[in-house]
Amino acid sequence: MTATLEVTELRKQFAIGRPAIDGVSFMVPAGEIVVLLGPSGCGKTTTLRCVAGLEHPTGGEISISGRVVSSPGRGILVPPRSRDLGMVFQSYAVWPHMTVRQNVVYPLKHRPIGRAEANRMVEEALALVGLSEYADRPVVALSGGQMQRVALARSIVYRPQLLLLDEPLSNLDAKLRLRLRDDLRVILKQTGMTALYVTHDQAEAVVLGDRIGVMRDGRLLQMDKPDTIYNRPADLFVANFTGATNELAGTLVACNGGYGVVDFGDGRQGEVALLHALGPDDKVRVALRPENIAIGRPDGANTFAAKVLDRRYQGTQTAYSIELFGKRLEAIELGTAARHQVGVEAPVSLPRECLWAYRDRGPLSHD
Amino acid sequence: MRLQRGSALHGQADRRSEITRGAGEGAGRRVFPRLWVAALLALLTFLVIYPVFMLLLGALTDTNPVVDGIRLSLSHLSIANFLTVLANPNVGEALLNTLIACGGGTAVAVAIGLLFSWIVVRTNTPFKGFIAAASILPLFAPPLVAGVAWAILGSPKTGLINTMFKWIGWDLHVDLYSMWGLVFVFGIYYAPYVYMFTSSALRNMDPSLEEAAEISGASAFATLFTVTFPLIMPAIVSGMLLSFIVMLGIYGIPAVLGAPSNLNVLTTYIFKLTNWSPPLYNTAAAVAILLMVVTGLLVYLQQKVLSGRSYTTVAGKAFRPRSLNLGPWRWLTFALGVIYLLVVVVLPLLALIVAAFRKFMFIRDVASLFDMRQYSLMHFRSIFDNPLTLKSIYNAIEVGIITAVVGGALAFAIGYTIHRTQVTGRRAIDLISTLPVAIPGLVVGVAYLWAWIGVPGGLYGTIWILALAFIARFMPDTVKALSTSFMQIHRELEEAAWVCGRGMLSTIGTIVLPLARPGVLAAMTLLFVLAIRELGSSLFLYTSNTMVMSVLLLDYYEGGNVGKTAAFSLVQMVLLGVLIGGANWLSRGAAQRNVTRT
Repeated sequence: MTATLEVTELRKQFAIGRPAIDGVSFMVPAGEIVVLLGPSGCGKTTTLRCVAGLEHPTGGEISISGRVVSSPGRGILVPPRSRDLGMVFQSYAVWPHMTVRQNVVYPLKHRPIGRAEANRMVEEALALVGLSEYADRPVVALSGGQMQRVALARSIVYRPQLLLLDEPLSNLDAKLRLRLRDDLRVILKQTGMTALYVTHDQAEAVVLGDRIGVMRDGRLLQMDKPDTIYNRPADLFVANFTGATNELAGTLVACNGGYGVVDFGDGRQGEVALLHALGPDDKVRVALRPENIAIGRPDGANTFAAKVLDRRYQGTQTAYSIELFGKRLEAIELGTAARHQVGVEAPVSLPRECLWAYRDRGPLSHD
Repeated sequence: MRLQRGSALHGQADRRSEITRGAGEGAGRRVFPRLWVAALLALLTFLVIYPVFMLLLGALTDTNPVVDGIRLSLSHLSIANFLTVLANPNVGEALLNTLIACGGGTAVAVAIGLLFSWIVVRTNTPFKGFIAAASILPLFAPPLVAGVAWAILGSPKTGLINTMFKWIGWDLHVDLYSMWGLVFVFGIYYAPYVYMFTSSALRNMDPSLEEAAEISGASAFATLFTVTFPLIMPAIVSGMLLSFIVMLGIYGIPAVLGAPSNLNVLTTYIFKLTNWSPPLYNTAAAVAILLMVVTGLLVYLQQKVLSGRSYTTVAGKAFRPRSLNLGPWRWLTFALGVIYLLVVVVLPLLALIVAAFRKFMFIRDVASLFDMRQYSLMHFRSIFDNPLTLKSIYNAIEVGIITAVVGGALAFAIGYTIHRTQVTGRRAIDLISTLPVAIPGLVVGVAYLWAWIGVPGGLYGTIWILALAFIARFMPDTVKALSTSFMQIHRELEEAAWVCGRGMLSTIGTIVLPLARPGVLAAMTLLFVLAIRELGSSLFLYTSNTMVMSVLLLDYYEGGNVGKTAAFSLVQMVLLGVLIGGANWLSRGAAQRNVTRT
């Protein structure tokens, strides 16, 4: 019932401008949830719509369960209705002129399924999303979160082989978004469906995805398990987009397996992790998460003197601006106590496995 | 929900600013709003209430309230006259014919309008802009001219279409002097009303609603009928009702196509009644009331549909239009657009040109159609030899200008009072100024006739009665058009001027009017054009001194000379084209100046 999705060298060129998708390849094994994550305009939604068949790629190939559904090179283009997939839209796209039940039963009416069987499937789907009591209400009488549940029920009621979700939570308010996000993963895992999920929200991606693919400018930069994305980002952009917003520039002076020594200027040297091949004398940029900066705890080799410039108390955590090597960095300390005063000099330690060095490709590339 | 909250906030802001202004005003200033409202109400009573009241009185008596005195009329007041008229089989027949012709015409209009809005908004048909333009072009054709053109094309004996059929050897015969002809011509010329409603509804619809259906397994065809059309149903229904309402009040088309076969609809029947000798004014008034009631019911229905929940206006979000790839079929949809343009514009225009320049309308065969010796300017010479022709053009333009200036100013005053002030009595002003929506032009004409015919030294026989009737008739459209132009100006711009110490009138003069100028000019232009081509209400109000173009055209037609009729139709079309183009150029210039200034 669930299927693998294979996207090979996908390309989409609109009439003008750079390609919206520029050679994207990935595979989603049966039963896995893959999240495409990236800023707006990165091509993630276009990729999803190509898989759905709503957008027509200009190059590459898409196959679902081994069946090629899009291959402009071979002249293959299977229409959306014959791809046997479900899709949840950002704007819900529930039909306002129908009741909840009419919405959910709609896909079954276009399939050879008996009425009794169809009713059973509708009940099952509605129970799964927790809307059994609302079956006969007009959808316009529901809240946004409930409408999105209707959309979800509608897209899974016929047990499609692949489920596509296009920013399904971004129209909901923050509290609802958190709840539905957790529910969504449970429901998806319960049905065991293969799913491709598109979002710009990294927290959503981490919670929902078995694997996350980070996209930018039509290219897939990295596709890995969430903890790999968070702990070993493939490049500066992925690091920055997933929250490693601090950056230090330096020159690599020595390499030693997975680690190396970087000179940050004025002879201040520190040990960093090398996530891709670099050699001595390479200019590097080092990305660092605010959470991984420990203030006032001299610990290990990478301990430097820093100055606290600013403090913003946020309740369960405190954000500090500190000055290190003449640069302003952000640091976050968890806990309800704000321990450091503005203006004090304090040692900070930077664990070497949290300092990721990348080749310096000129001015800040992610802006 | 969010929207409601927004407007509630607005309401609060309005009230607050009202209070702050009220506090600083002296006693003398508090009198002014009341005087203002009283003046507007008096004006509206004079323009709308009094004529309609007289019409009603006329329908309910067998005397003339103006000539015989109101007291006598009131003493003769009874429903009997009205009931006698309703029981008249001729009235019943006219009503039935009206409903069939307008119903059939509406069905055709919906089919065409819906088809073209789908083609333009939802497909990849080539030259869509051209088809979109063609779809609203018929709005500019005066009904009488359209009727005359189609009479030339489709008359059963001498019609150009039948001549062509005979020449090709097809055993086909069309007869547009029939109910079918009426339905056909109504349908093709009033499709734009449906098109305008449905195309904007389609454009505002979230395309993912249709995509969801397709993903669910529905074919493009099934999607269209289970999702797309049900979703824009409110727009379809209100476009449908509007085209029906407009058709109800049309005189020119049924007058031309119905008369030869003695096919009467309510409008033509009313005119006939007033043209008999002695004229049956009371009966005419009663039938006019009947027409007004039918129209009023439909207007009420349309308002209900419009105010009902509309599915398509979800958010102020702009959607990327979704266009269906039709493949080679897109040339078929393109061809449909071309055919429509051909039928609505090109063929009628050619027919008018042939008839206007040809010495005799008898065409033996196609060879004689291209025989240049048969053509001359004699019809043009003959119509311009008639002093009435130039006079009617002059009169029409004069009436148009008076209507545009006076009507525009009045509509601005009304719109501003309704939408931007809190004076008591503005609801009444709103109600009375919208009333004419439900009164067809012809009925306005009859009502004004009743109201002024016997008043000595009064309006009747002057150019002003025409202008006033037009102002009353087009008041709702003008107020609406003008209101949108200044509703876009943010209230705070005005409040800023008040804070700077300006009074209300000075604020209007220095802030509102300059900013709203393009919209005001456009609304006045529209009013001008509408006034120039108006026939229905002119029919009852002109005298030989105040003859206007549209009436003279009908005169030529009824005189039986097709050549002169066609020639004058062309003159009218060219004139209208020049006037619309010129006015457009003027208001666009104003708009551009405005843009460069801000």
